[in-house]
Amino acid sequence: MGNHTYELLLALGVLSPFVSFWLLVFFGPRLGKPLAGWVGVVLGMGVPLALSSYVLVNWLGEVESGQAAALTASALRFQWAMIGPIAIDIGVKLDSLTVAMYFMVTFIAFWIFVFSVGYMSGHSDEVAGKSKYHRFFAYLSLFAFSMLGLVVSSNLLFLFIFWELVGLCSYLLIGFYFHQRVPQYAQMKAFITNRVGDFGFLIGLMLVYFQLGTLDLDEAAVVFAQQYATQTGIFASTFTMFGWSLATIMGVGLFCGAMGKSAQFPLHVWLPDAMAGPTPVSALIHAATMVAAGVYLVARVFRLMTPEALMFVAVIGCLTLALMALVAMVQTDIKKCLAYSTLSQLGYMIFGLGCGAWIAALFHLITHAFFKAMMFLGSGQVIEGCHHEQDMRKMGGLIRKMPFTGITFLIGVLAISGFGIAGLEIGGIKFGLGGFFSKDEILAVAYTRSFEWEEGDFSKHQEQGDGHGGHGAIDRSDENDRIRLASFGQQESSNLEVLASGTQADHGHAVEHGAENPHSTNEKHSGHGTAANAGIFANTPKLPKWMFWLAIITAYITPFYMMRCWWMTFMGKPRDEHVHEHAHEVPLMYVPLVVLAVGTFVASYFLFRPLIADASHVGSSAAMVMAIDGTAHTEAVHHAHVWLQYGVGGSFVVGFLVAIAIYGRGLALADRLKRVAGPIHTLLERKYYIDEIYDLVWVKGCVALAYVARFFDTYVVDLIFNSLASVTERLAAFSGLIIDNQGVDGVVNGVAATSLDIGDRIRRPQTGRIRNYVLITAGIAAAVIIGFLIWGPDVGGVPIAVAGL
Amino acid sequence: MDHLLSWIIFVPTLGAILCLFVPKRQVRVVAVTASLAALILSLLLFPTFLGGGEGAAGYSGSHYGELHHVERHEWITGSNLAIEYFLGIDGLGFPLLILTTLVAFLACLASWNMESWKVGKGIRAYFVLFLLLETGMLGVFVSLDFFLFYIFWEVMLLPMYFLIGVWGGERREYAAIKFFLFTLGGSVLMLVALVAMYFYSDGALASEMQRTGADAVASGYRDGVALTHGTFDLIELATNKVIQGHFNAASTVFLGLKFSTCMFMFLFIGFAIKLPVVPFHTWLPDAHVQAPTPVSMILAGVLLKMGGYGFLRLCYPIFPTGGETWAFLLAVIGIVSILYGALCAMAQTDFKKLVAYSSVSHMGYVLLGIAVMTEAGFQGAMFQMIAHGISSPMCFFLVGVVYDRAHHREINRFGGLWMTMPRYGTLATIGFFASLGLPGLCGFIGEVWVILGTFAAKDNPAMPWAPTMAVLAASAVVLTAGYILWLIRRVYLGREREEYQSFPDVSARETMILVPMAVLSIALGIFPMQTVFNFTNGTLDNMLRHVVQVIGLVP
Repeated sequence: MGNHTYELLLALGVLSPFVSFWLLVFFGPRLGKPLAGWVGVVLGMGVPLALSSYVLVNWLGEVESGQAAALTASALRFQWAMIGPIAIDIGVKLDSLTVAMYFMVTFIAFWIFVFSVGYMSGHSDEVAGKSKYHRFFAYLSLFAFSMLGLVVSSNLLFLFIFWELVGLCSYLLIGFYFHQRVPQYAQMKAFITNRVGDFGFLIGLMLVYFQLGTLDLDEAAVVFAQQYATQTGIFASTFTMFGWSLATIMGVGLFCGAMGKSAQFPLHVWLPDAMAGPTPVSALIHAATMVAAGVYLVARVFRLMTPEALMFVAVIGCLTLALMALVAMVQTDIKKCLAYSTLSQLGYMIFGLGCGAWIAALFHLITHAFFKAMMFLGSGQVIEGCHHEQDMRKMGGLIRKMPFTGITFLIGVLAISGFGIAGLEIGGIKFGLGGFFSKDEILAVAYTRSFEWEEGDFSKHQEQGDGHGGHGAIDRSDENDRIRLASFGQQESSNLEVLASGTQADHGHAVEHGAENPHSTNEKHSGHGTAANAGIFANTPKLPKWMFWLAIITAYITPFYMMRCWWMTFMGKPRDEHVHEHAHEVPLMYVPLVVLAVGTFVASYFLFRPLIADASHVGSSAAMVMAIDGTAHTEAVHHAHVWLQYGVGGSFVVGFLVAIAIYGRGLALADRLKRVAGPIHTLLERKYYIDEIYDLVWVKGCVALAYVARFFDTYVVDLIFNSLASVTERLAAFSGLIIDNQGVDGVVNGVAATSLDIGDRIRRPQTGRIRNYVLITAGIAAAVIIGFLIWGPDVGGVPIAVAGL
Repeated sequence: MDHLLSWIIFVPTLGAILCLFVPKRQVRVVAVTASLAALILSLLLFPTFLGGGEGAAGYSGSHYGELHHVERHEWITGSNLAIEYFLGIDGLGFPLLILTTLVAFLACLASWNMESWKVGKGIRAYFVLFLLLETGMLGVFVSLDFFLFYIFWEVMLLPMYFLIGVWGGERREYAAIKFFLFTLGGSVLMLVALVAMYFYSDGALASEMQRTGADAVASGYRDGVALTHGTFDLIELATNKVIQGHFNAASTVFLGLKFSTCMFMFLFIGFAIKLPVVPFHTWLPDAHVQAPTPVSMILAGVLLKMGGYGFLRLCYPIFPTGGETWAFLLAVIGIVSILYGALCAMAQTDFKKLVAYSSVSHMGYVLLGIAVMTEAGFQGAMFQMIAHGISSPMCFFLVGVVYDRAHHREINRFGGLWMTMPRYGTLATIGFFASLGLPGLCGFIGEVWVILGTFAAKDNPAMPWAPTMAVLAASAVVLTAGYILWLIRRVYLGREREEYQSFPDVSARETMILVPMAVLSIALGIFPMQTVFNFTNGTLDNMLRHVVQVIGLVP
């Protein structure tokens, strides 16, 4: 492939939905229904999917042949603007992570677009009785443009721009049914909460711009590492806030943006409300792609993070994953239940990144995107089929009416619960699904960081991972052997030498050789960065044990609430005859479900993990990833520690059994438990009262402050000037009395008369008043001038000038 | 020497004169034609700025004071006095000139169907005053002789007064007088500065000539020209080493205060009232609310920019040390304006007043960006002026569109307008999101540049707490989103209301006014370099270098 072919293809894929957007804006009404929708499907996502598939296939080849790193290093950039002396480039960031994310987004989005055509074919496109069909697909196309733009951005500022644009699309789509009250408030809440996060993002951006002198992701990482090595720039600053150094504040600031978009506690409040939008939107934006953008951002700026910043990331992620899973247990709205589950899973990803489980977190991002999009679409099918009934208490027994939906949903439930049996292989394929590979790996890393980590033993760990393998990189070859891509650890077979020579140095010997390794093809970016970053992470502290325990306990809660959700909807006896009677499913809607279900299987095994693993050592990540992520893997959990193996691996069994035990025979037992739990249940049902608190403190507080400002403006600031004016007016009247200047009066009256002639409605008294004002102000001016001529002439030359005048 | 600038300025005047004589029915046509002619003529300036140099200096010269289309004539001369008719344009005036002709043209179109015309009243007077106002505004942006500048400044004042006071809303007289008095208050101080600067420059040259024994002092920016007495030439005042040395020296005093500090403040207050900054802003909401829609567009689009232009043309290049002295205070005022304006906007229930207060908030960024005296700050402030000059007339016109139909502006009485008027709703979304500062639209660039520029000032000893200020300025993004989205929700979203269901969607004329502004909002947001920065950055950077140099030279 040519020099910048990949970049150009990806860029073309970004622009295609943009074209689709404008087409639909201008010609949408004329295209009508369903043609407008198919334009959106083909141009909005079909073209990008085709391009990204092509890129993906070829890119896999490049990775295998070892060309990927070189392609990553030779970036395509155009100058867009200068901020002061610093150039801002627009460009495509091309590496394995981009390719993987891009493919994931286009693949999932394509099927959701198809699903949308089905979903919108009924009356779902009506806003207050009028069809807004084309508008829906225009928004979806704009979203596709923004999201793909975000994924390929090579520059933090552009990332931010697309970041805000996806926020806009989210705003518009949540409020698609804007004639109703709930979506109106939900869309505002989403945008403003995100803006709070973006405020932090802007601060982070500011620090990057000023302290590192560039907004390019790669360059920034290099400068960051150099500054650490020489202890200059941002590391020379003695500024601290909350005990954080400036470098940490930068990382935390950037992470604030991620907290908003990925809805991390305490900025999570908008996501459950965002379910007010049409269900395909919930699936696409608020489950699979946009909300994952925060995780993607953290992964991208991982190299700008300090251990303290990562610790903050881990704490936030951990709180989110646990708190939101608890709320998910008591939800009765099928979409809300999935929303809280999404929050909890996003918490896992963020937590994983905070722990250093870079590969696992991103892998989880992708597997989660598949199965969560599928489940949301399933819920959309259910809701549409049940005539917009979302309350699971009124459902039940739907499996007979909706077999495809029910079974695909169950696959999603299994995937999110980490279903699988360690060590069992069927035909060479490990027996497990989705979370079994990704979530459990995060837990394994958390375990390593909590229990086997000694403060300051970063380098020891790195050598360990490098040397004997231990509980760490032992079974790394599971995918490697089959797909022959990711090749770190020591067991890679000799036919992977080509790739290894370029990447292994970064991975294994980063501390000793990274900077000067002649083999490293993109030494400038990753080699250098890694070596210095290793220094940054040398003092990475141990993870508090409570965090690991929370994550493990939540791993038991997840299967419970998901199975509860599935059972209440699809199993048991129908609880509402009316709902049950009308339930049905449509091919245009269940075909995407089946495709995504297959995608969930494929994503769990092939393609993505090796790609991400490749990304982690060609300059997307830091030494910490190599050291920590390299030491842990699913297999580490499932083999090395028996109790962890059963602890994590068995969680889904326990969760499922408990859920079935409670909900297996209707809701009676659940109701009794609810009464027993009493206040705790209420606390969870009211989501810890966070919404109420925010409303009181922030919304009402801010509006109150605004009214105070308005009062002050009207009655204090204005009063001062009004009284000044009335004083002047009196003076003017006085001057009018004593200064009888016929001449001036004559002239002014003449002018006034002319203007009266011109303007039919100009009133004379006004001109009179104005004249007085002019006179008095001219008088003041004259007084000041005379005053300074008399008292201030201690300047050479001024008297001469006056004399000359 | 060509006369392009003169033509641009006085074409509207010619139109005004013509308006006096044509039959009443033709007045509108003449006025629109005249403003369109001015727009087209101003577009002829583009080749000058497209063709020029390259590199860091951009398209506008290698040093501050490289001017284009210069016109210089002696105008009023006394034994010691030389007032010139001196026009010229550089990267500072150019975009603002284009903005003025554009907004004036669109506002002229917006005046086509005013309520008053139906009763056949005042149409002639209105357009005459309107065109005179345009002349005044254009004159301000191209005159480089302080005296001439002052005259245009005052010329602009009176038509505006009448336009608000005669064709305005219920409390028009109060609003008009308030506007007039505030501006006049600023003018008085400017007049004092005008006189003082002339005499002090004269004094500086005299003592220099005495010291060297020569009979003239070389000009600061014109080759082969020498000065013998004081000057009103704004570029000369800024670039002449002798004058600068004297103006900025600590030993030069005025009324017992340091000259540069004092003069800077005098000029600053004059311009700050126009910008406007808190606490001199209270004329603005009243004037906006009472003014007819097209006049609001002019007010917001152009008049406010004169404040910012004044800072950049007069305050900073001529009194850099004054700028340094006051930097901290001005930055604080800028931040107060940003936050206070946003908060006040949030509490408004009058649609127009809300947009007016949002202007206060947005103009705060201009002041902040200029006050911090960094490259990104200057550039951002300039961009913000242009961007606001597009988005805020658009917002005012959007308000006007519903006001024409509903005859009230109570935000809480609206609802569901997007359903009733879909095209209008879409355009309104673009306008208000541009105002909100959404990336990809024009409002974003200025804000980000200013915030980054503020942060970059952190090593300037005159600007302690610059990072804190940047953070505070950035925090306004949340407030802005708050009041704009709340507004959109109340006015455009929700169910259709019975009483508004008969409203027609935007007419062809209204679309013609809104679409150019919508397109420009997007273009500026996506191509900031090609649309604005390429034209302005050269001049701004040169000016900043000059400012920094003078500050460095004068301890």
